[in-house]
Amino acid sequence: MAEYQNIFTRVQVRGPVYAGVPVTETSWTRSGKPFYIHLFGMLGDAQVGPIYLGITGIASLICGFIAFEIIGLNMWASVNWDIVQFIRQLPWLALEPPAPAYGLRIPPLAEGGWWLMAGFFLTVSIALWWVRVYQRAKSLGMGSHVAWAFGAAIWLYIVLGFIRPILMGSWSEAVPFGIFPHLDWTAAFSIRYGNLFYNPFHMLSIVFLYGSVLLFAMHSATVLATTRYGAERELEQIVDRGTAFERGSLFWRWTMGWCASAESIHRWAWWFAVLTPITGGIGILLTGTVVDNWFLWGVKHGIAADYPAVWGVVADPALTLPGAVK
Amino acid sequence: MMPGLKLGLGIVGSVAAALLGIAMLSNFEMPGQQITVQRGFRGVAMETNYNPVQLAKYVAENKVPASLPQLPATGPKAGQVYKNVLVLGELSVGQFTRLMVSITNWVSPKQGCAYCHNTNNMAEDTYYTKIVARRMLQMTQNINANWAPHVAPAGVTCYTCHRGNNVPNYIWWKDEGPTPNKGGALEVSMGQNRASTSVGNSSLPYDPFTPMLEGDYPIRQQGETALPNGNRHSIKETEWTYALMIHFAQSLGVNCTYCHNSRAFGDWSQSAPQRVTAWHGIRMVRDINLEYMDPLQGVFPVSRLGTSGDSPKVACATCHQGVFKPLYGVNMVDAFPELKVVGQQAGLVQTSLMVVNPGVYPAGAQATPRMKPTPIN
Amino acid sequence: MAMMNFEEKYRVRGGTLVGGDLFDFWVGAFYVGFFGVTTIFFSLLGTTLIIYGAAIGPTWNLWRINIAPPDLSYGLGFAPLKEGGLWQVITICAVGAFVSWALRQVEISRKLGMNLHVPIAFSVAIFAYVSLEVIRPVLMGAWGHGFPYGILSHLDWVSNTGYQYLHFHYNPAHMLAVTFFFTTTLALSLHGALVLSAANPPKGQVVKTAEHENTFFRDTIGWSIGTLGIHRLGLFLALSAGFWSAVCIIISGPFWTRGWPEWWGWWLNLPIWKQ
Repeated sequence: MAEYQNIFTRVQVRGPVYAGVPVTETSWTRSGKPFYIHLFGMLGDAQVGPIYLGITGIASLICGFIAFEIIGLNMWASVNWDIVQFIRQLPWLALEPPAPAYGLRIPPLAEGGWWLMAGFFLTVSIALWWVRVYQRAKSLGMGSHVAWAFGAAIWLYIVLGFIRPILMGSWSEAVPFGIFPHLDWTAAFSIRYGNLFYNPFHMLSIVFLYGSVLLFAMHSATVLATTRYGAERELEQIVDRGTAFERGSLFWRWTMGWCASAESIHRWAWWFAVLTPITGGIGILLTGTVVDNWFLWGVKHGIAADYPAVWGVVADPALTLPGAVK
Repeated sequence: MMPGLKLGLGIVGSVAAALLGIAMLSNFEMPGQQITVQRGFRGVAMETNYNPVQLAKYVAENKVPASLPQLPATGPKAGQVYKNVLVLGELSVGQFTRLMVSITNWVSPKQGCAYCHNTNNMAEDTYYTKIVARRMLQMTQNINANWAPHVAPAGVTCYTCHRGNNVPNYIWWKDEGPTPNKGGALEVSMGQNRASTSVGNSSLPYDPFTPMLEGDYPIRQQGETALPNGNRHSIKETEWTYALMIHFAQSLGVNCTYCHNSRAFGDWSQSAPQRVTAWHGIRMVRDINLEYMDPLQGVFPVSRLGTSGDSPKVACATCHQGVFKPLYGVNMVDAFPELKVVGQQAGLVQTSLMVVNPGVYPAGAQATPRMKPTPIN
Repeated sequence: MAMMNFEEKYRVRGGTLVGGDLFDFWVGAFYVGFFGVTTIFFSLLGTTLIIYGAAIGPTWNLWRINIAPPDLSYGLGFAPLKEGGLWQVITICAVGAFVSWALRQVEISRKLGMNLHVPIAFSVAIFAYVSLEVIRPVLMGAWGHGFPYGILSHLDWVSNTGYQYLHFHYNPAHMLAVTFFFTTTLALSLHGALVLSAANPPKGQVVKTAEHENTFFRDTIGWSIGTLGIHRLGLFLALSAGFWSAVCIIISGPFWTRGWPEWWGWWLNLPIWKQ
């Protein structure tokens, strides 16, 4: 169709750079001279900067950098410092947690100690970033919703790398730092605990994950379809509803009998997105601690489907053969 | 940045991206050719997928050679006529010779008898190959006689593994990784997290064979009750089992659902009968490695040993070589009944595990295939 | 009639694709339209057949009901109703209902003077469904390759289909799709939180402006995508998640029959570093 669909900005307006809402009680001032990137302006806002550095921000970046270096240098060492193999095998390389035999003790550096240290610095970095996100909102007189959303993600991270390993009595249960290896961990986790699809919190988490994607598609599409009426100015539409959100709301009311409002759609968004890691973290936490085999749990609670038998009786040979080792 | 430099980098980048893209996309198979065999109930997705081009290649590679005509058991026994015959002495000379010629075809078609024998003194244990062959004859008899739940009715001969090669193409040695980093400051090798063909290019543990196909490390990891009941197997151990299972799948040219319903890997009542066959296969492979391969370590020359100095060992791929039944289940061994019964005692063979000229290689021997335990394209 | 207090002025005729004024009316809050009628037809028929399928099955337990596709041996033909034919008719009803819904959304958009982003976005989701239940089975030569209709049974299908390729996480399109799923959720949480944090300041403070939203993100990460940009980004991320999901399942089987880790051989064996 020949109509403009508002996917990319055709004409970019340039005015003086905006230095940011003035704040008075911060210890730092904003850094960097803001500049424009035309490519960014085709999609969104063209202005880059200024940034607020701050103590927590800088400390977070330093800790994060340390963690990054610990992981990367150990990976590089694992291919004997061969730069070609480092690039070639990078997706396969990892920094691995300690062996189960060490339990929750601090292992030697070379046998999982580096992993523990990297995890520590990464956690501190994330915690400092959380503080940063909280303080920036406070200083601008805004609510702390972003920080609490971030907290939900941090919950999942802490469950995976800290709380659950402690409950299981072993750092070895935690996730390795590595691209493919963390996927191996995920698959092994499901295999070990009887297929995670049968974990009801896993089901819930997926509902919220898919729901988040559905909601963002619905909300974004609705806004983009009404930008000709200024729908992207959502704060104005919240306090003083205009034809943009009137049409958008009616679209959904007429489609599915009900609609959210300019503000409440963002509550739906926040909760779906935040409940994804919250329920996911609960599902991880219950695995191995409270439930050892999710499929059998499913059978116990009557949710596992029955399939007609295709083969005859297949029995465990270890049970039927005398003296057989499993 | 200089304007020419920006353009140059752009061109180089685009060409590199295009080449990588071509490499990546040409890796895919042609659409719509695949053949799928349904194995479970409809909709459960327990299926095996085949690509006809690959299938044709495997069929071509798994043709069984014709056997020499069988000979009667009449006439003097080989053990009476020839010296130093410790394993097949009860065969007639005709049968014995026929088997020797067959072994030559199966294992050393180019080098002929000289691969194992000093042709000036056929009785002499000149080369290590003669000792190994003797033990392998006993191994073959053991497999056919005592491991029927896995190999019957097709059975095995030397050809099943060797396929005309001095050394079978798919064998393994203990693998501690190229950079163990032992005693170094940075993390030691934990046996995983590198690209390994032994586990189908995944980053799973690359040597699950040593603990599970030589040792008897438990392969089962899942609990058998919904609630915790003392099962202390770890996620890491499960990765080792997973690695072994990937080897199984690639060795047989099948996938996990060939044996398992993945919603309950451990549940035998939801598994295919092939899983029972595999259970016996695991124990058979351990028996082969512990009883036959490992004790030969002192006999093999260094070039046949692994980097840790251990014997070459067998895994599923050694016989199966990418196909669900070795040689598609065609029976070779019925034409060689002497390979189906256990012959003389092993003890006799042990006393002759001494090579006259240690380290002497028969002429023209093939090089050792290195570190290819799993068939992968 | 249940209407919002601003609704009446928007209830005008027009915008229809098919049928003109014949179905151009509302039932309660719902717009009907020609495609509303077809939606109801397909949905009712499909749902009835699902209930029938449950009735001829062994259970009424919501979690265990399973309506399975035909055996592979039926190929692309019609199977007997009780041997997978039911599944086939239900699938036709599903596609009919989804497409009707999307076209009804087009009619509603046109009536409200809106662009068509919503039905186009929904079409990507329909594409994902059709990939799984139509495109891939057709490419593989049998309707039996579709996933069954059942809450836990469809998960068994997912699990086994994944393990057919030994380690499905290594499927590169699956990696892309998962990344887009997680990034969409991240971006949604940020967008929802940002708007709410501006509209719901601490007690005693005034509602904030878009300048505050921009400043928050410039302060934290040095750049703010802006109120329009975030909706473009959100739509792109969400639709990419659906698109690459469809791609990842279409390539599994028709374009690749081996384990997915093995696919990475092209990278590991590049001539510049082949071992």
